[in-house]
Amino acid sequence: MVSANQDADAQLVDRYLAGDATAFDEIMIRHQRRIYRLCYRFVNNREDAKDLAQDVFYKAFAHLENFRRESSLKTWLYQIAMNHCVNHVKKHSQHFVEVSENTASATASVQSQLEDREEREQFRHLLQRLPPKQKAILELRINEQLSYEEIAKISGRSISTIKASVFFALEKLRELVKHPSKRAEKA
Amino acid sequence: MFGHLKSEDFVNLIESSEAPAKWRRHIDSCHRCRATWETLSAVHVEITSVGEDIPEPDWAAFRSSVRDKLFARSVQREASMRRWTGWLMRPSAVSTLSLMLAVGIPTGAFLWHLQKDHNTLSIGLETPKPASPAELLEAGTDKTVFDDLMELSEREQEQLHRLLQSAQKGSSHLQ
Repeated sequence: MVSANQDADAQLVDRYLAGDATAFDEIMIRHQRRIYRLCYRFVNNREDAKDLAQDVFYKAFAHLENFRRESSLKTWLYQIAMNHCVNHVKKHSQHFVEVSENTASATASVQSQLEDREEREQFRHLLQRLPPKQKAILELRINEQLSYEEIAKISGRSISTIKASVFFALEKLRELVKHPSKRAEKA
Repeated sequence: MFGHLKSEDFVNLIESSEAPAKWRRHIDSCHRCRATWETLSAVHVEITSVGEDIPEPDWAAFRSSVRDKLFARSVQREASMRRWTGWLMRPSAVSTLSLMLAVGIPTGAFLWHLQKDHNTLSIGLETPKPASPAELLEAGTDKTVFDDLMELSEREQEQLHRLLQSAQKGSSHLQ
């Protein structure tokens, strides 16, 4: 079943491809904020996030004729954004942490370690240390509140794999909170 | 027998308030799974509260920048197209092309006819045509100029005879 939003997006795409310049602004206004916010969560600064998001829209509009209506425009834009951000982070050689999957010793209360604002800022930095694909999935799920079906379409993986990725991302974050100075390894 | 929760189950448990009763029972009885669930839930809560204060750009300038990049791309593509068509329209290119066509078309037609004749001869489907004198000479036939004389009228034969005699006389005088 096609949602009203999806239908509206499809009409805007048709109008843009037919040469209607106003469709450009309408598409941008509908999607610019969510794409920018996703990019921001990868780079944590406004200028880089703006550049990344602009690149995403430039790519999308330049290849809009290739957009197949199987998924929504929102999903397609997220797909471009996710790939672009993951590549950007990989290219800029950030270091990501590899943690043990042993959960038996998890007894400390994480909440108590993250009480004040400073620690929350630190947590934001810890998020940057996740492997880019895991981070992307976590952002799409938790902050963008996409369904697992949508994330599966965006990333081209199964729902089970996406859920497992969320689990391991949370596990790694928990480990990083416990041991923030843990040796960073290249992903 | 019910084993430990899987990664997928933990995620469902963290995100859903209504977890299956068997999972709840297991969490109550299994220290390891309960610890994992509690810590991951805390991390999950923390992520949801992080990143709420994202500074936003000037959206009009943001859109304008994307539009300019797209416009620059289309201009570049048009210029590239014009470069190709411009090249084709250059006088030197046009004259070369005309010369190629002037030489190429007759040569092609000639070769095509040659090929066609060769094919029909080799296949032998065409009915034989009477050969022209030139073709017969080329083919080394026995027919000579005297055979053509036989085809002259009496008056023409007389004129020719006289011409030959006068020529003979002239040559004897010279000798």
